[in-house]
Amino acid sequence: MNEEIAFWMLSAIAVLGALVAVRKRNLIHGVFALMVFFAGLAGLFLLLLAEFIAAAQILVYIGAVGILLLFAIMLTERVAGDDGRRMTSRGWFWGLVAAVAVFVVLLLPPIQQFPSPEHARAIEPSVKELGEKLMHPYVVTLEVLALLLTAALIGAVTAAQGVRMPKEEDSPE
Amino acid sequence: MSPDLVRDILIATVPLMVIFPTLFAFTTWLERKALARIQNRIGPNKVGVPLTRYGGRFSLFGLGQPLADGIKMLFKENIVPRDADRLFHLLAPILALIPAMLVLCFLPIEFPWTESLLPVQAFLLDGAVIFFFAITGLNTLAIFMAGWASRNKYSLLGGMRAIAQMVSYEIPLVLSAVVVVMMVGSLNAAEIANAQAGWNWFVFTPWGLAAFVIFFIASLAETNRSPFDLPEAESEIIAGYFTEYSGFKFALFFLGEYIAMFAISGLAVTLFLGGGAGPGIATLPWLSAMWFIAKIFALIAVMIWLRGTLPRLRVDQLMGFAWKFLLPLSILNILVAGFAHFIPQENIVSKVAVWVVSLGILYMAAKGLNQLNRPNVRPRDYKYAE
Amino acid sequence: MSLLGGGILKGMAVTLRNFVGSYFDRDRLTTNDYAWRAGDSLPQHAGEYPKEEGEQLRDTTTVSQYSRNFPMLLHDEGEAMDTIRCVACQICERECPPQCIYIEKSTEKMERGGNKAQFYPAKFDIDVSVCMSCQICVEVCPFDAIVMNSQFELSTSNRFGGLLLRRDDLLKSNGYYHKIHPEEAAARDRRMAEEKAAKEAKKKAAAEAARKKAEEKAKAEAEADDKKQEDTQ
Repeated sequence: MNEEIAFWMLSAIAVLGALVAVRKRNLIHGVFALMVFFAGLAGLFLLLLAEFIAAAQILVYIGAVGILLLFAIMLTERVAGDDGRRMTSRGWFWGLVAAVAVFVVLLLPPIQQFPSPEHARAIEPSVKELGEKLMHPYVVTLEVLALLLTAALIGAVTAAQGVRMPKEEDSPE
Repeated sequence: MSPDLVRDILIATVPLMVIFPTLFAFTTWLERKALARIQNRIGPNKVGVPLTRYGGRFSLFGLGQPLADGIKMLFKENIVPRDADRLFHLLAPILALIPAMLVLCFLPIEFPWTESLLPVQAFLLDGAVIFFFAITGLNTLAIFMAGWASRNKYSLLGGMRAIAQMVSYEIPLVLSAVVVVMMVGSLNAAEIANAQAGWNWFVFTPWGLAAFVIFFIASLAETNRSPFDLPEAESEIIAGYFTEYSGFKFALFFLGEYIAMFAISGLAVTLFLGGGAGPGIATLPWLSAMWFIAKIFALIAVMIWLRGTLPRLRVDQLMGFAWKFLLPLSILNILVAGFAHFIPQENIVSKVAVWVVSLGILYMAAKGLNQLNRPNVRPRDYKYAE
Repeated sequence: MSLLGGGILKGMAVTLRNFVGSYFDRDRLTTNDYAWRAGDSLPQHAGEYPKEEGEQLRDTTTVSQYSRNFPMLLHDEGEAMDTIRCVACQICERECPPQCIYIEKSTEKMERGGNKAQFYPAKFDIDVSVCMSCQICVEVCPFDAIVMNSQFELSTSNRFGGLLLRRDDLLKSNGYYHKIHPEEAAARDRRMAEEKAAKEAKKKAAAEAARKKAEEKAKAEAEADDKKQEDTQ
């Protein structure tokens, strides 16, 4: 019973957040609404006892992606679009088609294969298990991913450094 | 909801929500007093209990000052700039307080309130440490929100500085905590604290000591404490994102900041200073929580001491310090910890050897990094003067 | 090679020494609890505030004579407005960096102390919420009419205008000035007396010279007259 109340509340928060994020023309408001959606999603994960994924959701999506979005928006010129103007786009029909297509192709198969609640309870995902899985069977994958991220990091640093002009070299930084 | 569940929730969370804000009031007084004494002043000493004007002469070293400040804050006018985003301006201080309060629940403070619930700890999660870092990061959003909603260039500058700083310092903060997580093999805060029972605190190991120092420095930056208080630099950007806040909203920000200080000090205590470990906890169940809070206050005292000592960093120094010094050092420390873990430490000789070698490597690395990052400053060339 | 972070430790040692020292060594304290007086071992009269609005605080005589806060206007012995030194020349108004002084000149001149009749300020307001206590107005005043007060308890419950001091709030007697800044007031009085004496001497000399000149002229004229007379004769 408690779980159900929590589920509906969190779902409502997430859906509302997502709706506001799409509808708001003010970008900053939109980003914060998106974060509300992420937070609601994290709460749903927590409800499913997937606490590590919940933490990752907060850490990565709210903490990193959200901040990145904010930074990007701060660098754009017109942040606050007027909220009063109506959306005039005619693309909503195709948008709906795309949404249904995504639902059918990507989400329907896993939903049909959901384990029964009794079976799900038996799985009991825990951080410990997750860690052991990462460190034993999937350690190579993890390392390759780490290498990829390191390469990306180094690439970002190189890109951020820019082309060094010969003149600048002797100027003290 | 069942009454038992409600009772458990209340017992677990209400004390935290009462104790720490009370300690906050005391800490503001302590900070003002200590800073005053460092500057050879007296500090607040007039407001006592009852207020001195009405007969009583018990000034009690000015301990009534936080109370008077609080009342003043409550009654002050709430000023919102005309062009501000009113909703976000209101939400920002609330959003600043919530994550700070929330992360307190992850600290393994053991309050033995009832016989059956002995000991009570708010959230017993396996991933407590990672949750702690995830939720602390939300504080950044509140600061950005405040800076953006105020419609003030200084506020916005403060907000941008805060984001850049907190995102940068989160990395050494997490990496220095990773060492402990690696050694204990758990992300559970209570398990980490229990692993240090007795005097086996991690700060008494070479890698733990280094990680503790890095963690403490990064936590100073994470809570915007001096010398990393650039986002709220009064002399540069008039208190940054606080600029347009007054009255109770300001008080909420202030409260959130101090609660975040308590929380991050509490995590440092959990990770490195043995949690609630200390003499006498076996006989008196209350002593564990007392020890925990006492250790938090020891760290807070050092923070105040540093605030009275160090001048503020420059923005480029701040960023350089995080990325070019703390980050490589904390990564090296993980390696050193692995090395120290696999060397057998049976007798005193091998223990001393591990200490000397580990700290030697870390110190030399720090020295080298320091040398590498030395600013390229030459004596000035004068073209016309001799 | 110096110890890494040694500078921070050294700084911390300094602040620690100050922290501990301030509890044992009273001379270290750079500020005094203003209800204390030198030599008192315990805070006395803590909480004794003036009961009536506008009452001059006892405290202004207990703070150091070298302290200064906001400007005040001086008048000599006698009725305040009759002996006000300010002649509304508005030099201070123009020099004030934060522009916190507002002066309105009177329409007619007023004679005071036997001097030449001069204007007087019909309005002289200082917004002490703007004033930065720089003392520039004092330095530029040619009439020694504006000096610094040391009264510091100015808190008011009126946000709008409560800190705007009017001419009559600012007017203080020279005797009060002597009480709060004895050395400075004595030096100023001495200098003023010297200047006055010099001025008078100059005046006297000028008068003498004028008289001499007039005499000479008269003499010359007389001689010329004599000559004329002689010529006509």
